[in-house]
Amino acid sequence: MHNTLKLTVSHAPFWHNGSSISSKSRNILLASLLAVIPGCLQYGPAAVGVVTLAIASAVIWELLINFISRRPISVGDGNAALIGMMFAMMLPATTPWWAVVTGTFFAVVIGKEIFGGIGANPFNPAVLAMTIVMLSWGDLFDFNAALLNYSFDFNAVYPLVLSKSFGALPAESFVLTDLLLGKQIGGIGATFGIGLIAGGVYLMLRGYIRWEISISFLAGIFASALFFNILNPELYAGPGFHLLTGYTLIGAFFLATEDSSSPVNFIPMLIYGLLGGALTVMIRNIGTHIDGVLYAILIINLVNPIVDKIRPKALGKGV
Amino acid sequence: MIKRSFFGLVKPKLQYEIIDEAQAEPVSIKASKQIMLYIDQSLENTGNALLKTGDPVKAGQKIAMTDSVDYLLSSKSGQISKISTFVGIMGKKFTSVTIDVDSESSQTVDESFKNVCQTPSLENARDFLAGLPGQPDFNGFFDMDKPVKAIVVLGVDDDLLSTTNQYFVKNNIIAIKTGVDLLCKITGISNAILIVPQHLEQVAGSSGAIVKTVDSEYPSAHPELIMQHILASEDGKSKSKSGIAFFSAEAVCAIGAAYNTGKLPLEKIVTFVSKNGNKQLVSVPIGTPIQDILNKFNETLNDGDRVILGGPMKGISAFSAEYPVLPDTDAIIIQDKNQITERSDTACINCGECVRVCPANIQVNQLIRFLEAGQYEEAADQNDLFSCIECGFCSYVCESRIPVFQHIKLAKHTLESMKAAEESNA
Ligand code: SF4
Ligand code: SF4
Repeated sequence: MHNTLKLTVSHAPFWHNGSSISSKSRNILLASLLAVIPGCLQYGPAAVGVVTLAIASAVIWELLINFISRRPISVGDGNAALIGMMFAMMLPATTPWWAVVTGTFFAVVIGKEIFGGIGANPFNPAVLAMTIVMLSWGDLFDFNAALLNYSFDFNAVYPLVLSKSFGALPAESFVLTDLLLGKQIGGIGATFGIGLIAGGVYLMLRGYIRWEISISFLAGIFASALFFNILNPELYAGPGFHLLTGYTLIGAFFLATEDSSSPVNFIPMLIYGLLGGALTVMIRNIGTHIDGVLYAILIINLVNPIVDKIRPKALGKGV
Repeated sequence: MIKRSFFGLVKPKLQYEIIDEAQAEPVSIKASKQIMLYIDQSLENTGNALLKTGDPVKAGQKIAMTDSVDYLLSSKSGQISKISTFVGIMGKKFTSVTIDVDSESSQTVDESFKNVCQTPSLENARDFLAGLPGQPDFNGFFDMDKPVKAIVVLGVDDDLLSTTNQYFVKNNIIAIKTGVDLLCKITGISNAILIVPQHLEQVAGSSGAIVKTVDSEYPSAHPELIMQHILASEDGKSKSKSGIAFFSAEAVCAIGAAYNTGKLPLEKIVTFVSKNGNKQLVSVPIGTPIQDILNKFNETLNDGDRVILGGPMKGISAFSAEYPVLPDTDAIIIQDKNQITERSDTACINCGECVRVCPANIQVNQLIRFLEAGQYEEAADQNDLFSCIECGFCSYVCESRIPVFQHIKLAKHTLESMKAAEESNA
């Protein structure tokens, strides 16, 4: 008889589109390699060391937390590795090992796990960690000083420092195509513009990041930089410069788009992105900090729950 | 199974099945030995059961435990061999009645409907026809608070893969016309609307009803959405189900045939989808165990396989292949063990896929947090739980593979039974 047959019984729906967190993480990691590999070629073994250490330590921190809190092992979803990678991309290749390891601790443990793990973090964990380490050990992340021992065939001055201290004129010494090709100093995975853009476009097309956020973030940068530039062309660099320097591109494609800390509705995503872009340029141009991307992202992360309330009425509700 | 497309920039689309020539003619299948009927009554409340084991039944006889409006019709004559309780989804209790079927040659037919069929009326429709294939529901016409203003015939299939209702529009539009005319006559309602997929618009024209089309993307053929998008323009903004009586095309055909011939048609058309994805329309007596259909197609079941009654998005999965074809079983789908995607208990990562696909504009990413925490009242008050039309799309796309739809159903069920308990205490 058929009584012994054990059928699978479960609730509808019986189909799934096959997406998963791990495939998302895998694809974002893959896309980030487009920027990280050129970075590693530029900065050599030290950069490779920082990247691998960041990823490994992020995974280990998450494992440790899994054990301590007696929760199922969650590193398989690739999210911890991704956080490690994002963090490493922002670091200079010279970052000492202890700063990398504490950084990933801040990212994984403080940035994500204490809020309840994946999906519950109000801030982008990597951005939060980066901000903390920058505030704590600022000297390490002064790119000019940090990368002093490298010799480059291009102007080895952190572009944003130049524009901050000397206005728009020196900024013009950077040719935009050079910036795109990574001929500037900066974070390991944050300078190779073409790679970041290619990775970003890939992720947008495949739907792993929400294109509305990236595009509006860049639009926000462009518009506000243009505004400042028109206001005072001597003092403020043009939009092209702002788009291709500092953490702009990595911010637009990899950081602001982090799932948990960004909105999911259309108009909120646009507001979120535009605000992020505008804040970035404002901080760069009139604030005290050199780059504004990290603070801008933390601020938009903070307002995310509020803006995401703007949405169409549910079926059968309201007028 | 339709997978996520390579490009994910636009929101995912699921297309309804379109009936094609090859599968148009249903294969007829007989009930081998037994039929089984699940009646929406629990055994415990039936002190004076109308039926008991050993009773003979005739084909077309009403099978009910009490004198209520819930009954099924026996598709064959035979003898009741077993009456037991069947526990369905969310712990709902049914009475399961098993009938050992008489041989084909000695089938006897119940004549009570024949005696009234000359004078069609809403009353005898409710008393005799609610067990027809397609499960027509006449109760709405008896609700004096919400008078029915329009009859809507669904010539569309409400879930993926099924072509059952399209079959009737495509091959039996005359029968639909007969049924619609009859329904209009007995209800006194002249406003009949036939909903069909775009590719059947031409054919549908000869039904005499007002024809409206829905597009081919899931879940646009959902009755709730049909009301919102298609009927709202007809009749101002009708926000609730009140005022509209829905019938499936199959039910309408059956009603027409019943009154015209005096015989109750009790063969159900089912879209059968085998493990390898072959689709075939079959015609089976209501109550036939699924196993009989499997035998016909040499389909074998192994441990871990899944038997689905209804479509892949909204159906239910059966505990065994003894589960019968019921009046509302439009499709039967067999899934192999390795076609099944495991669900997980990972938390929501806020990817927003569900929000993009939800036809009811629910913030599923917020809702699921309350549901997982068991905060059902907050979910209903602040997160539009009851706006959900139960299409299952959110679960289909969920990147964390959360059984979102199951959470929603459980929450609704819990709140509704709490409310019912409160009312009975008051
Ligand atoms: S089942 Fe999910 S997608 Fe469908 S209406 Fe309900 S919440 Fe929205
Ligand atoms: S699809 Fe799943 S993981 Fe994504 S937001 Fe919706 S519930 Fe959360």
